[in-house]
Amino acid sequence: MHRFLLRIEPIVWLLFGQGVLIGTILLTSWVLVVGMLEPLGLVPADALAYERALRLGAHPIGRLVLLALIALPLWKGAHHLRHLAIEFGGHARDAVVAPVLYGLAALGSLAGLFAIIRL
Amino acid sequence: MGEQKKTFVVTRFDPDRDDAPTTREYEIAVQPDWKTLDALNFIKDHVDGTLAYRWSCRMAVCGSCGMMVNGEPRLTCKDVLSQYGDTVHIAPLANFPVVRDLVIEFDGFMEKFERVKPWILRAKEKAVEEGTHRQSPEQLADFQHFSMCINCMLCYAACPVVSNEPAFLGPAAIALGHRYNLDSRDEGNGARNQVFRGDGTVFSCSYANECSEVCPKKVDPAAAVNQAKIGALLDWAKGLVLPRGGPE
Repeated sequence: MHRFLLRIEPIVWLLFGQGVLIGTILLTSWVLVVGMLEPLGLVPADALAYERALRLGAHPIGRLVLLALIALPLWKGAHHLRHLAIEFGGHARDAVVAPVLYGLAALGSLAGLFAIIRL
Repeated sequence: MGEQKKTFVVTRFDPDRDDAPTTREYEIAVQPDWKTLDALNFIKDHVDGTLAYRWSCRMAVCGSCGMMVNGEPRLTCKDVLSQYGDTVHIAPLANFPVVRDLVIEFDGFMEKFERVKPWILRAKEKAVEEGTHRQSPEQLADFQHFSMCINCMLCYAACPVVSNEPAFLGPAAIALGHRYNLDSRDEGNGARNQVFRGDGTVFSCSYANECSEVCPKKVDPAAAVNQAKIGALLDWAKGLVLPRGGPE
């Protein structure tokens, strides 16, 4: 498992790095717009109307953005939690913790992929 | 401003006699322009000749006199005493085994240094008659700041990953390996990137940036480590589509 984790480390780090970027910039503005500005009535009422949002999301570029929004922060979270576990508990349980966390991120990414294909 | 009294709480440890480190206090008069190392030298010369610590050049070049001063890794020859209050705690560098008092053992550090192959690697050595490997000032500037390391090991004492994962290659070794990867005369990127992805992988770095905070030579090892991650990643991706080459 240790060897396997070392082998996949570059790709996990790439997904993690992009997840940090997406998580801190895109996701923050997403929460700002959808979670705060919209309910406060600060964006025009029809800007996020269902039909309009669906058309935006179903565009090929929209689908890619949505997939990135769903999948990449999962890898960021998994990688952060793995390192948190190492920092608190050392490497002893890493052979179990890392595959579980990365497995969850992979499952979530697959579910996201499935969802955006069906959009 | 005249001399001022300060108390130095110094960690003592003699492996032949002690089970665990203890501290000893020395109250001495210090001069306004003294560095922490000057106080240690005064204690050694006039108060307690049994105190053991490393030092050599006194001008931040040799990298021998790194210690924990009030809990921070500092180069004691460069560390101005007047910035501290009446009590100064001095301990050996964190994250290293202690030989005695303030002297640490750094075999593990040297072993990590060797692993990143910190020398010019060439696929085929150039014959002496063919002349030197030429390099432009711009090519030199690519890596020069990463070559300013004096191996003082402060970055290892500051790094939270080193303290948690002793196998981690660590800031200085990765910065040095990366320095050769950036050198236009070198052809050893493939070999070094394999080391960067192996045991002690560069990807263990969680970018706390403490190494660059404490570096007395402004090498910025945190930048080197994170550039090394990108290098190791690109090299890995290249390895998926191209056969491996280059010197081992």
